[in-house]
Amino acid sequence: MSYGIIETLVSELMRLPTIGRKTAQRLAFYILSMPEDEAKSIARAILDVKEKARLCNVCFNISEEETCQLCKDSSRDSSKICVVEEPGNVSVIEKTGLFNGLYHVLHGSLSPIDGITPEKLKLEALSDRVKTDTVSEVILATNPNTKGEMTAQYIANLLRPYKIVVTRIAYGLPMGGDIEFADEVTMGKSFQGRNVI
Amino acid sequence: MLLRTEGIVFKSFPLGEADLILTILSYDGGFLRAFAKSPRTTKSRFGGALEPLSHIRISLMGKEHSDLPRLTQADIIHSYQKLREQFDCFLRISELLEITMSLFGEKEHHEGLFQLLVDTLNYIEAEKESDSLRRFLFYKVRVLEKAGLSPRLQGCARCGISVGTFYFSEGSVICSKCKDTIADDNRTSGARLISMGAVNLYETIRTWSWDKLNRIMPNDKLIFELDSFLNLHIKYRIERGLKTRDFMYKTKTLATSSVNADKNEIV
Ligand SMILES: [Zn+2]
Ligand SMILES: [Zn+2]
Repeated sequence: MSYGIIETLVSELMRLPTIGRKTAQRLAFYILSMPEDEAKSIARAILDVKEKARLCNVCFNISEEETCQLCKDSSRDSSKICVVEEPGNVSVIEKTGLFNGLYHVLHGSLSPIDGITPEKLKLEALSDRVKTDTVSEVILATNPNTKGEMTAQYIANLLRPYKIVVTRIAYGLPMGGDIEFADEVTMGKSFQGRNVI
Repeated sequence: MLLRTEGIVFKSFPLGEADLILTILSYDGGFLRAFAKSPRTTKSRFGGALEPLSHIRISLMGKEHSDLPRLTQADIIHSYQKLREQFDCFLRISELLEITMSLFGEKEHHEGLFQLLVDTLNYIEAEKESDSLRRFLFYKVRVLEKAGLSPRLQGCARCGISVGTFYFSEGSVICSKCKDTIADDNRTSGARLISMGAVNLYETIRTWSWDKLNRIMPNDKLIFELDSFLNLHIKYRIERGLKTRDFMYKTKTLATSSVNADKNEIV
């Protein structure tokens, strides 16, 4: 057996995030020992996702069809749009079970120093949705860091002309954490965002 | 090897799922890059310490002269959170950071560069927004000087005579008698007339101490003229436009007079 093909598989696997050489080697030898059917089905799943997955033409989440399942679901509240940076953020919010509106995925966040300008994000499409649809609230769920904050401020400004409520998700300490280990910025934000109980 | 120092975070670049590569201007060793493990997870012990502008005390672990040491600890000395929270202000500061990164290479220590930045950030944080506009200009003039790239606005570079047009290729004013010594391409590629007011302001900023500079409050028109000129000079020196300036055009955060001044390059 040629060692070259194993080495090719190892270096291909290493393209994936969090996979170093050692893990890649372990995976490669595991794949080698697998029944052919199973290995083929992994390969097929990778190809399928590349061939069939596309962006929803409404919310830009990953979808198999032109419009995604969430956007098509008539039981969801179309008057609320939750704005997130990445497709992966949608499932995290879905898991809370607390939001029944629709989403809008920006595919990134503004960053002047990296040259990420507004037209590189799905911002125009967001304005269009707010303009035409029956939207009454836009919830900004961009990341609680400088880029996410800048993006939220920009969107709040962008949507100001429309008569809708724009809200920002709360900042705070992570659950299971301890105040003693919180830095001054996180703690300060938690204080500003405190609620009456 | 364990290295302890302090620095200002300039930018971060995501790596893999939750890691970051940081660019930090250190107090004593110029720019350095560091790898931070999992700061993006919500339970990270780094918290908000690695956000841009944070002045932090850091510990780095790595082999000697390692290109990418690992950040093991970061404690906030001052967060500059207020500056990050104002869109326009943070954008203008980002421009200063980009200029600084493009003028100085990695690990090149420049005496006083770190302090220049800290002083500038402190002033901007303490002052009203309308008063702090001049600070960005002060920083640009001073940082060019530290990089040895100050434009020469007084006295022809060839003969010393005091009147002339500024030629970007020469980085200096050249009088009408000497302008034929400039290569044809350069003479037509970019030149600008600068008002006496702007020249005087520039010389004042270059030569006065910080304490004395507190007293001058130039008008906006003069600030915009000199600022726009310095940006073209920097563009010429680093051979590319600034991403942050482009961002300002696209988000319309520059004053209209400033945008017009930027466009009006050739005399
Ligand atoms: Zn959708
Ligand atoms: Zn001359």
